[in-house]
Amino acid sequence: MSAVIAKKTIIGARVPKPDAPDKAIGRTRYINDMVLPRMLFGKILHTDRVHAKIISIDTSAARALAGVHVVLTGDDIPELRFGTTRDNVPLKAGKVRCIRDEVAAVAAESEEIAAQAIALIKVEYEDLPAVFSPAEAMREGAPVVQEEHPDNRSLYYEFSHGDIAAAEAASDIVVEHEFELPFVTHCCMGTSCAIADFDPAGKLTIYSQTQYPYNYKMDLAPALGIHPGDIRVIQPPVGGAFGSKLDVYPFEPICALLAQAARRPVKLTFSREEEFINSPTRQPVEFKIRSGVKRDGTLTFRSVDALLNNGAYTSWGPTTPVIQMRTFTGHFRVPVVEYKAQAIYTNSVYSGSFRGYGNVQATFCTATIMDILAEEVGMDPIAFRLKNAQKSGEVTPQGSILEDCRLGECIEIAAQKTDFLRKHEANTGNRDKPGRIKRGIGIATSIHNAGGAKIHKSDGCGTILKLDDFARATLITGASEIGQGIDAVLCQIVSEELGIPIADITIVNDDSALGPWDVGVHASRTTFIAGNSALRAARAARKQVLDAAAKQSNVTAEELDLRQGHVVQADNGVAVIKLDKLLRRMHFSEEPELVMVTDYYEPNSEAEDKNHVGNLSATWAHGAYVAEVEVDTETGEVKVLKLTAVQDVGRVINRLGIEGQMEGGISVSLGYALSEQLQMKEGKVLNPSFRDYKVLTAPETPEIELHFIESDCKEGPLGAKGIAELPAIIPAPAIANAVYNAIGIRFFAPPLTPEKVARALHEAAHQRSSKR
Amino acid sequence: MSLEIEIEFTLNGRRTRVKVPPAMTTLSMLREKLDLTGAKLACGEGECGACTVKVDDRTINSCLMFAVDCDGRELQTIEGLATGSGLEIVQQAFVDHGAIQCGYCMPGMIMQARYLIDQNPGQGHHMTRDDIARGLEGNVCRCTGYTKVVDAVAAVVLEEASL
Amino acid sequence: MTIEHYSVPGSIAEAAQLLRQGEVTIVAGGTDLTPQTDSGAREFAATLVNIQRIEEMRGISLSGALSSGNYRIGGLTTVTEILESELLAADAPVLIEAADHFASPQIRNAATLAGNLCNASPAGDMIIPLLLLDATVELARWAGAAVSYRKVDLADFFTGPGKTVMKTDELLTAVEFAQPLDGFKATFLKTGPRPALEVATVSMGVAGVFKDGALHGARVAIGSVAPTPLRAIDTEAVLEGRLLDEEVIEQAVETVSQEVSPIDDVRASAWYRKHLTGVYIRRALSHVAGN
Repeated sequence: MSAVIAKKTIIGARVPKPDAPDKAIGRTRYINDMVLPRMLFGKILHTDRVHAKIISIDTSAARALAGVHVVLTGDDIPELRFGTTRDNVPLKAGKVRCIRDEVAAVAAESEEIAAQAIALIKVEYEDLPAVFSPAEAMREGAPVVQEEHPDNRSLYYEFSHGDIAAAEAASDIVVEHEFELPFVTHCCMGTSCAIADFDPAGKLTIYSQTQYPYNYKMDLAPALGIHPGDIRVIQPPVGGAFGSKLDVYPFEPICALLAQAARRPVKLTFSREEEFINSPTRQPVEFKIRSGVKRDGTLTFRSVDALLNNGAYTSWGPTTPVIQMRTFTGHFRVPVVEYKAQAIYTNSVYSGSFRGYGNVQATFCTATIMDILAEEVGMDPIAFRLKNAQKSGEVTPQGSILEDCRLGECIEIAAQKTDFLRKHEANTGNRDKPGRIKRGIGIATSIHNAGGAKIHKSDGCGTILKLDDFARATLITGASEIGQGIDAVLCQIVSEELGIPIADITIVNDDSALGPWDVGVHASRTTFIAGNSALRAARAARKQVLDAAAKQSNVTAEELDLRQGHVVQADNGVAVIKLDKLLRRMHFSEEPELVMVTDYYEPNSEAEDKNHVGNLSATWAHGAYVAEVEVDTETGEVKVLKLTAVQDVGRVINRLGIEGQMEGGISVSLGYALSEQLQMKEGKVLNPSFRDYKVLTAPETPEIELHFIESDCKEGPLGAKGIAELPAIIPAPAIANAVYNAIGIRFFAPPLTPEKVARALHEAAHQRSSKR
Repeated sequence: MSLEIEIEFTLNGRRTRVKVPPAMTTLSMLREKLDLTGAKLACGEGECGACTVKVDDRTINSCLMFAVDCDGRELQTIEGLATGSGLEIVQQAFVDHGAIQCGYCMPGMIMQARYLIDQNPGQGHHMTRDDIARGLEGNVCRCTGYTKVVDAVAAVVLEEASL
Repeated sequence: MTIEHYSVPGSIAEAAQLLRQGEVTIVAGGTDLTPQTDSGAREFAATLVNIQRIEEMRGISLSGALSSGNYRIGGLTTVTEILESELLAADAPVLIEAADHFASPQIRNAATLAGNLCNASPAGDMIIPLLLLDATVELARWAGAAVSYRKVDLADFFTGPGKTVMKTDELLTAVEFAQPLDGFKATFLKTGPRPALEVATVSMGVAGVFKDGALHGARVAIGSVAPTPLRAIDTEAVLEGRLLDEEVIEQAVETVSQEVSPIDDVRASAWYRKHLTGVYIRRALSHVAGN
């Protein structure tokens, strides 16, 4: 009697991460924990100047110290240019341009000796006049940061659609606002670390935290003067990334150069203080934004002028306008739009990519302005947004195709779940009543690419899938696991298609020599792109298996299914053969075959044309978030009581994972709203420690309520969309809008620290009393 | 030859003897001398809790405690929490509740969670989510936003209270 | 400087003799010392003296007559031990409040009371409640043949950021204060929103015996608004024995804002610290008055 196996799905289940048990027992060896035989320890001497000529570097005492193997300065190596616009070098020669600049590096037998050696290096500087803000740097005759850019201009972006002057003339109300978005930083719990090891043929194996291993080779090679093909990237587990590891930063080539010179493996790790000062930040931006609306609440135009502090070198920060622009031009139906962004070189630190990539800044502005405009036309915040929300099938001026647009649905559900309108009105009424605690409720929305973003020539991901003689699967994917949980998602997809348990699936994705190409973990793309590739590979394997089973059992493959390690009859679940037995039969037959398939999935998105038009992502997603806050009007403290998130996620694959990504993203955005800021003074970082740079802790975490809209995306793997950036984008302005609802004061420059709020309240009270 | 002090203590249930420089931290001793890399160096200033271990009956930041002061004491690290072959109940709860993403802070977080639960025996029905969050205020996590961490601890508190 | 000797004295006498020899760094919980030596803000002396094994420096005790006794808290008592003390919870709950806001559970488990006082931070969390309690510190030194002790009022103990009246050969062995009188009320406030792991922007304590609407033996102590934790003597004088009505409270706010001399730093501006001082004195007074 054959067993009957019912069809069950694992899609939407709560699946723990396969790597979690090892992490829970302290067994996981992160890159920071790794030790290689004969390994030396590298350390960098960062400058203490913000702009200076290097007159001399005396390394003699460092070289003479016992246990020191290599001391390098910029003069010891050729000029090896690297970076997004090739304006950086690993070790600086002749001049330093910002506080991060690397002037020397050592490799020694212990971290202590390396630190002692660094302390023995004497550098003589001649300070140069410096500039720290874009405005200063743009002035005629300002000090020049990069000699090849005498006007200090770095990257420039411009987009326009429609006639702004006409739209402005046709508007009933026009408002103009200035926003200033701060420097914030990733605060990965594992500090930056690399281990480099050369073989005698000059080939490099680099153990790296990178979240884009394949293009990383291309970006690292010029910094070393070697061929990208001679680099093998190993990715041990990392302590967080969040976009900070999407570029090559100087410590990585420096580590490799030390290893090359020492002919021994070298490990280089940042201290927490070094991490705060030297790792990339989120791009700070100053915006001037004009917006218009008709009295009936119809948006007429949006004009954005963005000024980006490029810092001294160019990483991904100044490229964030590409995504930022999509929100300004395409969030809500704005018929006429223009966007300009100019990145300006300064002697400040430079920015990279950070979860939310430009949209964090854009959404803070758009969500605030939508709130203001609603009030200007006398509409409630919900009705005003609904009036201007796009419908399915609309295309934004930049060509984002909103095929199945759930913006309105997100807003409606968010309003309904939070009893928004009643609370909003009550809070407004309470503002001027006595009482030091004021409550507020605020909403914010945004759009983000949810099917990758074609900013490279390909936005694809490769997969190799094999089944062994015991029905165990190995999925080799190009997609990196950086804690976000792609391993669980891919296991579920393979498990679903092949009917084998997750415990029987191994994901391999830590070695560039094994894995097929992938762009990297960014742009909310991995579930979508790697998921689609894994799904297609799994379906190919499934077909191969079922075809073989069909041949043996005189039925068609369509009549069979794979469930719980068995081939079964699809209609009644009666087991036909155990999968492992079938696989062995296939393998050890007269016409032997192994199940091993490959797939390369390229989404059907478009690269932008030179005018920034094109459907950059295979799909787009919206979210509407509501924040409820309490403001202490005396101390200025803002307490977030509850955060309700409504988001179009396409389809939930791993419920545990998607909740975790949402909650984690929200936490980062709460920090952006309330407490986080890397404080800069004349190019130096004033608060390089967790004591003074305040990330959220457990007691500050509000209640979080999540609502997933499962729109079943046509292009997505099993209907899923990318989800992990919107939660890091939308909460901050929802909080700012809630604070406005509570106290009637707008904030255009996060974070809303207690001091900033208290001062604004104090000034408002002062103005009121002087008017009387 | 620079000064080294020989100390002896109980580490995860075993007597351990090791020589350490007087200014070495307990964390460095664990990671560099004893190859226990579960506890992490993430700030070195007691501001993040990633290095949390238990000394005698209290959790401490091992990045702040001098290794020489371990002499004669009893230490427990994340590697010594599970005594059987599987995971200890708190570790399993963190896995099951999705409280682990990159996981770098988790050895410290789990040690502190276990301590917090042990500090409040039988309090399962009285301990609130706020109490749990306060008990974990010295542990920074950048991935999870803490909700699932508190979920996991709350589940263990309830489970142990009903034992 | 590299450490050449390491000692673990078992008694105050032994420790005092080691201190007498000079060139000593004392370590207890390590929670302040480690970051300071790591960052280079402080260097090790030639001898490292670990005082953690001096049992006579531990414990919380109440001695003397019922209801007018004397509290003694050993210098090595940890902040957690203060937090968990049932004796203190009954008589001096303000110490518990401050301990509850102190750093983090792990730091509370290691940090000692003596360490918090000797570190002499203007923001030191345990200092404020002890100032309210008129605490004295006991300092021990080797006097040739035996240990000699002197007592210093905590209000006179601090001389500047990181500086105290302690001599290099002295050890802070205990803190003492009289059991508060019946009707003694005290309150401790510290800037949030984060309950812990926060260097106070401003911390404030107000205390006294509240009777017939007035504070008697008024004490006002404020952290992070001056080079040392501050006893606001003028404000105390304003409050002393007077009915806590709006006029007196307003006067106290006025006076306290004259008494503090905060600075701008990375954590807050002088303006905000002054502003908070005013907010907190109102709240603290309202709290002790039972509103």
